[in-house]
Amino acid sequence: MAVWDLSISVEELGPEAPPLKISVTSDLHIGGVILKVVEKSQIKKDWSDHALWWEQKQQWLLKPSWTLDKCGIHADARLCLTPQHKPLRLLIPNGTTLRLRVCFSSPVFRTVMGICKLLNIRRPEELSLLWPVEGKKKKKDKDVEEEVYDITCAPLPSTTILKLANGMPAFYAESPETEAVYKMLAVSQPAPAPETIAKMYRTTNVTEKAQINGRWLDSSRSLLQQGVKENDKLILRFKYYSFHDIIPQADAVRLTQLYEQARWALLLEEIECTEEEMMVFAALQYHIGKVSLTEQFVASCPAMDDLDSALQCLEVKMEGESSADDMLETMTAPELHDYLKIFRPKRLTLKGYKQYWFTFKDTTISYYKSKEESSKEPIQQMNLKGCEVAPDVSVAGQKFCIRLLIPGPEGMNEVYLRCEQEQQYSRWMAACRLASKGKTLADSSFSSEVQSIQSFLAMQKTTPSNNTAQTDESINTHSLVSPRYQKKYKPKQLAPRILEAYQNVAQLSLTDAIQKFLQIWQALPDFGLAYIVVRFKGCRKDEVLGIANNRLIRIDLSIGDVVKTWRYNTMRQWNVNWDIKQVAIEFDGNVNIAFSCVTADCKIVHEYIGGYIFMSTRGREQSDTLNEELFHKLTGGHEAL
Amino acid sequence: MEDIDAMFSDMLQEMDLLTQSLGEEAESAPLPKPSSIPEPQQMNFSVGFTDFNASLHDLEDNDLDALMADLVADISATEEKFATERDTSKDSAPIAPKPLQPQSNFGLPASTDTSKPATSSNSIAAPPPPPATKLSKEEQEEQLKADKIKLALEKLKEAKVKKLVVKVVITDGSSKTLMVDERQTVRDVMDNLFEKTHCDCNVDWCVCETNPDLQTERGFEDHENLVDPLSTWTRDSENKVIFQEKKDKYEVFRNPQIFYMWKKDKKSLMDMKEKDKEQLLEENFCGASVIVPDLEGVLYLKEDGKKSWKQRYFLLRASGLYYSPKGKTKASRDLVCLVQFDNVNVYYCKEYRNKYKAPTDHCFILKHPQIQKESQYIKYLCCDDELSMTLWVTGIRIAKYGKQLYENYKTAVRKASGSATWANRTIQASSSASTPSPKPKVKAANGHAPQPTKDTMGPANQTSFPPPPPSLDILPPPPPDPMLPPPPPAPPAPPASATKVNKFPPPPKFPQSSFPPPPMDDLPPPPPPPEDAELPPDFLPPPPPSFGSYGADMLPPPPPDPTASFPPPPPGPQNFASAGGAPPPPPPPPPPPAPAPAANPSAGYVRKVAPPPPKRTTPQLTAPSGGDLMSELMTAMQKKRGQ
Repeated sequence: MAVWDLSISVEELGPEAPPLKISVTSDLHIGGVILKVVEKSQIKKDWSDHALWWEQKQQWLLKPSWTLDKCGIHADARLCLTPQHKPLRLLIPNGTTLRLRVCFSSPVFRTVMGICKLLNIRRPEELSLLWPVEGKKKKKDKDVEEEVYDITCAPLPSTTILKLANGMPAFYAESPETEAVYKMLAVSQPAPAPETIAKMYRTTNVTEKAQINGRWLDSSRSLLQQGVKENDKLILRFKYYSFHDIIPQADAVRLTQLYEQARWALLLEEIECTEEEMMVFAALQYHIGKVSLTEQFVASCPAMDDLDSALQCLEVKMEGESSADDMLETMTAPELHDYLKIFRPKRLTLKGYKQYWFTFKDTTISYYKSKEESSKEPIQQMNLKGCEVAPDVSVAGQKFCIRLLIPGPEGMNEVYLRCEQEQQYSRWMAACRLASKGKTLADSSFSSEVQSIQSFLAMQKTTPSNNTAQTDESINTHSLVSPRYQKKYKPKQLAPRILEAYQNVAQLSLTDAIQKFLQIWQALPDFGLAYIVVRFKGCRKDEVLGIANNRLIRIDLSIGDVVKTWRYNTMRQWNVNWDIKQVAIEFDGNVNIAFSCVTADCKIVHEYIGGYIFMSTRGREQSDTLNEELFHKLTGGHEAL
Repeated sequence: MEDIDAMFSDMLQEMDLLTQSLGEEAESAPLPKPSSIPEPQQMNFSVGFTDFNASLHDLEDNDLDALMADLVADISATEEKFATERDTSKDSAPIAPKPLQPQSNFGLPASTDTSKPATSSNSIAAPPPPPATKLSKEEQEEQLKADKIKLALEKLKEAKVKKLVVKVVITDGSSKTLMVDERQTVRDVMDNLFEKTHCDCNVDWCVCETNPDLQTERGFEDHENLVDPLSTWTRDSENKVIFQEKKDKYEVFRNPQIFYMWKKDKKSLMDMKEKDKEQLLEENFCGASVIVPDLEGVLYLKEDGKKSWKQRYFLLRASGLYYSPKGKTKASRDLVCLVQFDNVNVYYCKEYRNKYKAPTDHCFILKHPQIQKESQYIKYLCCDDELSMTLWVTGIRIAKYGKQLYENYKTAVRKASGSATWANRTIQASSSASTPSPKPKVKAANGHAPQPTKDTMGPANQTSFPPPPPSLDILPPPPPDPMLPPPPPAPPAPPASATKVNKFPPPPKFPQSSFPPPPMDDLPPPPPPPEDAELPPDFLPPPPPSFGSYGADMLPPPPPDPTASFPPPPPGPQNFASAGGAPPPPPPPPPPPAPAPAANPSAGYVRKVAPPPPKRTTPQLTAPSGGDLMSELMTAMQKKRGQ
């Protein structure tokens, strides 16, 4: 058999070095070629991660037993011996950049699985990679070097990664730096400074939102094939909004990153919400930020679970035993009493605040002319059960009012109570809040309610010029809302509104708060819609296709309205014509649609639809193993079949 | 220490006195009021009567008897509980004071016969096992003290419970009087009513509140507490509690497409497949958050305090009811919130065209439950037609109650099937038998995957993808709920019939859960279905079936019924949930001892109204409709389109 020369460049020899020439025969297999190159290079190192890359054909030669002949390699081929895992800069949902080694040779789907394994995120099929928006370099590049968390020291994802008892992969425990990285991953980030939000790129309309979806990488091809280079920057993001089987104990990183993605989507107005909803989101962000400082995710292993349940059991027992005391205590419920001022706005009356002696017992406020007369009949009694409580507070103006809307058979009675100072206000406000929910002062949540009101009052003390990020005590309320509301309201105006919403969430634990945030996010009408600008067959103008986890929608660009909805369960089949780049879908009842894609490759649309179908096949009973083959079958292009 | 001891014995004595006085009161007054122990913040009045005394005169004899039975069972059950506790402590410490006198001298002249069942129920209650080990003296004392404290607290707790005597109007014009305590949910009260009225217990039964001043009606949700809202009625209230069937109560779970796909062509909604309905429910009610129907459209809003009604474009969101102001878009940022649902309830209104000059009579209001009269704090809304009113009111209920509503429905179905007739069960047999059918279907669907197709598109460079396998996690038949009444192993002793008849002693139960339905929880669980019926289908593509055979997949041959050997099969959610298109197998013959519906006084009326059960499970079989909301809505829609 004829012997011929094959030129192979070795990355380790440097970019300038001439390719090595080795003599081969056509029946030599790839493994043999690598062996020869390694010998010739005379470098001693672990070559196990290296593979051959065929530049002209843009393809990896990953089957060591295939012969050169079978691969179709002739003397003109230029091959390159290169590591399969290389460092990459990854922008993760919480906005930080991570440097880690990822696989450049496997399909992106598998690469993401590896990344998620390192980051300890379950259900990697829901995430994918996309190109970042090209930053406008005009904005003078003197921007501070961004902080990069480096975990290139981590083992390759192809190996088994040990986990510690608390669910953290073992390699994070190796140094304080890596431990800090894991904390960054698993704990939500402090609220950003308002300018940071205002400065970031925001999409303003559906077409711009559609542009982003053109940036997704192809899941069935490798990073190198798609032109990603070592140390390039990519975004890791949840792509399929169908979050399967979330277990807070095991999903610390996943939940946190999901929360961060949702939060940024709201702050950057990627998903629209109403003012009322924004206030609830702001309140939850504030609460999550506050609780994250103290509480950590209790990641647990089975043994811990046992211990937990045992402890709980014990607690219940203790409670059972102490219930007698508790109940006796409720018999002698605590009371509040003070001189306060009251004001009842009525039609055609302009009376001001009047001072009385107030007592708060159970869920009822009574007031008397003076302290001395408190043993007599009160002037009036107000039961606050079911009432609405709103703050009317200005710390700067030393105004501490509680606005009560007390329901009665005739309607709501509006009453204002004015307190003298913060401490008094916090106590009375907390009591009113509890009473409106039917709880008494004896309720265990009273003191924490008082505290949360005080800490929130602190929020108002920050001056608007102080634009620092969240610290322990104070926070700029502009950090919690999107630029639209930053413009509409001053921080001081926002504070009472956020406080109002905050009172409904103040008692939630960290995990509950995050889950609540995600729930409200998922209940938004536009949740989970990925937009693509398309041109329907036979139409002359561009329209928008929205892809969600259960349906496709057609949006008229000129009026922004949903014109048509097709649900996947009525879909019979979809076809992609790769030559004319057209997607054709057939639905029940002989409904056929066809469109070409404008802002994204049709592979991306195809992958979205197939991906959501794949997500819906994940049953509850199914084991954790991921059916990669099915995913590629549903999302792969023609080359995959 | 001795001080505390003394204090407790004092307290116990006081408690005894109180209970005794209770007994005396019972002798002197026709109606004992167990809750009349002086407690400062306690309220006690009757509902449905102008005042309590009048209410007593108002009561008919049989009502009184029934009420007495309630009360006696209530009191004696409580006493019994103390007694058993006492017994245990007596074992260890015979010196214990005996606070149990009241029970023995608790004479009830009015209803000696009804008190019998109650006492008999007492004897059934099993005393707790005696303490196993001998305690040291100190421990005994400790124990004794603890017992005393516990007893005192129990009594205090019991005394504190608020109770109302409620007159419930039944649709046939009659009424029932019952006692409701504040721990009971509407579900508990309905179970109680089912027992008293012998109706068919279907899921549509509903306890409603009407307000003649506002001309409103609202059905209480099953999880709600009944005493709370009733306590907010004014003393002279003309409000009524009505027990009736309301088709719209759970219509959203029977026909979710009407609410979630209201924009679609109405005709295609009619013949929605059961499995598609299931999927809709799964998507909207079983996810991380409940999805509220995306309702939007023009409604009339009565301006605050004014007489005029203004048209506005409203949108429903999970966070509240919004409208878009004039000249603005429907974009979220421009929406104005009319009301959030935390503090308000939604009420149907009657004849607002007359009362408030509303454009139509299809009005609903949103108000705080405590508001009983016209007020500027009430939001008045008016819809064009009945369908849209049903959509909005149901949508608001979903936004307000979320998953709880679905839980209520599932409980209702479970309870209804628990006491349903045998005829009902045979229907369920057919539906549950057809549930395994999705399995072959999915396999077939996936079988398309590797098949390239020749399509009109031309070049072979084209791939075809299978029809989406429907969301698999909902496809396997729902695993039998352990709470479900399993098929009785032997035909005799149908639990439902035993408790339906009033002459039987009430089941031994503690009063909170008074008058439960047959205690089905105690029955053995249903036989587990064969493993493979539960397993998700694997995705290895089987030999590709002919292209486009999707339609054929819809009707797979019914697989062998795994439960066939256990007639009747477990009734339950399947009833609603899963009758696919498969033809039902022949129903098994009804087991011999059918609970006698003939003995049921209101059965005739009930049967008239209730839709034939098969209709709900298999729409294909839809025969004549009678009072079915769905078909009514459809006719209404068709009429509207015809205009």
